[in-house]
Amino acid sequence: MELLEVKNLSKHYKTFDLKDISFTLPKGYIMGYVGPNGSGKTTTLNLITGVLKCNDGKVYIDGITCKDDVRTYREQIGYVGDESYFPDNFTVKNIRSVLNDFYATFSEEKFNKFLQKWNLPEKKQVKDFSRGMKVMLMFASVLSRDTKLLVLDEATNGLDPVMRTEILKLLQEYVMDGQRSVIFSTHILSDLEQIADYIYFIDGGRTVLHDAKDEMIENFLLVKGESGAIPPALREELIGLEENAYGFEAILPSEKAALLGNAFLVEKPNIDNIVIHFIKHRENGNRM
Amino acid sequence: MRAVNYMKIDYMLTKQQLRIMLPLAIVAVLVGRGMGGIGVMVTCCYMLFIATLFSTAPFGSCSKKNTGFLLMLPGTVTERVAGRFLYGMSYIVMTVIICLAGMGVYSLFGYKITWMTLGLFLCNLALAIVIVALEYLISYVFGEGKNNWQYLGNVVRVAPGMGMFFLFMFILEKADKEPYAMERLEFVTQRIVFVGALALGTALLIMMLSAIVCVKVIERRDYA
Repeated sequence: MELLEVKNLSKHYKTFDLKDISFTLPKGYIMGYVGPNGSGKTTTLNLITGVLKCNDGKVYIDGITCKDDVRTYREQIGYVGDESYFPDNFTVKNIRSVLNDFYATFSEEKFNKFLQKWNLPEKKQVKDFSRGMKVMLMFASVLSRDTKLLVLDEATNGLDPVMRTEILKLLQEYVMDGQRSVIFSTHILSDLEQIADYIYFIDGGRTVLHDAKDEMIENFLLVKGESGAIPPALREELIGLEENAYGFEAILPSEKAALLGNAFLVEKPNIDNIVIHFIKHRENGNRM
Repeated sequence: MRAVNYMKIDYMLTKQQLRIMLPLAIVAVLVGRGMGGIGVMVTCCYMLFIATLFSTAPFGSCSKKNTGFLLMLPGTVTERVAGRFLYGMSYIVMTVIICLAGMGVYSLFGYKITWMTLGLFLCNLALAIVIVALEYLISYVFGEGKNNWQYLGNVVRVAPGMGMFFLFMFILEKADKEPYAMERLEFVTQRIVFVGALALGTALLIMMLSAIVCVKVIERRDYA
């Protein structure tokens, strides 16, 4: 059963176009939404939350669009960004009051527990919080209500490793009941390595890759070796070929493994390798 | 109900100014008291100027990057805009109460509150409502959600209210020093309360129209 369905989503700006983004995210899964800076990740996530209006396409969360019923649609979403989205002069008390007024499923008890657990001060204004505290406050505000979809836009970027690990654990617990999902954009791809079930990779507003994480890793090989030893047929198939005085590194679709022979070192890539080499591939002037 | 909740948020965003409303009212009454017969109107003019200033405060209260939490709240654009207009109107109502209380205080001091005073107050109130309605419209159309609004927004917030204050001060001064100037407007002075009430009704209508236009504008916009 799909929780999030994104259909042919497009957004036009003067200098940037997000084009034809389509994917589905089943209940109980985590999707990593990756791409370089300016690739359209935040635009997509803002379109999903309904803060931006799309030129074409539709977004369904549990079968409804933002236009169908904005209240239900937004009740279902919990959004956490990379920096605080709370007004600077708000205190925790103000935030609790707003959450109480607007969200039917908000649990004050849960919220207070998170505040206590993460040592978030009640009376300080948000502007006096550290970056990490602001992020934790955002997490407290979304995890203390009954959301179905968490939309995280580089949310773990400002956190120390201990906090990051705790958040990743919380996300895994969040989807554990099989009814809720997470879409997670980040530059820390090792986080996705740990928790993502699906990876959606965009660059320049276009889809590059979209698959289950394990399959994506299975579909590529990380190839290393001496540059001089690359036969022309193999060179054409290598993605994001990076050469230096010590040799080369690139990725290769697994189905082309027959071209390798025994002359190269072949490893299983991680998400980082795949993303970096695809970006390199584009930078080398190739179309994706 | 959601509109009221949005109004509450605006009060949270501008909590400081609510605290200074009462001290300002006391100062306005004390300053007006020293000005004799026109003192009560000076107090009212000043408080209505403050109302125009305070009622538009939420527009400049937080930068675009800090509004995400509020933008993602489960409410419609109509509710959000209605909440903002309710906030503005609540300051106007608060000012009316303060002004009526001020008139009570003046009559305790022995000054007579005339129909002329009441009529002029209603006219001033109507103008204040129109100014707030137009400021809201301008702020939503040209400002809300735009990064460079804070500087221009301050001019839009202050200038019209200040203009209104000086206009009414000018009229009051004329009426005080040159009573014949007002006698020339005999037709108006005899019907000033009626004119004031009519102006107030029109102003409220303008306020409602402004709210409708604001909703239509915001509905089509990103970050709304």
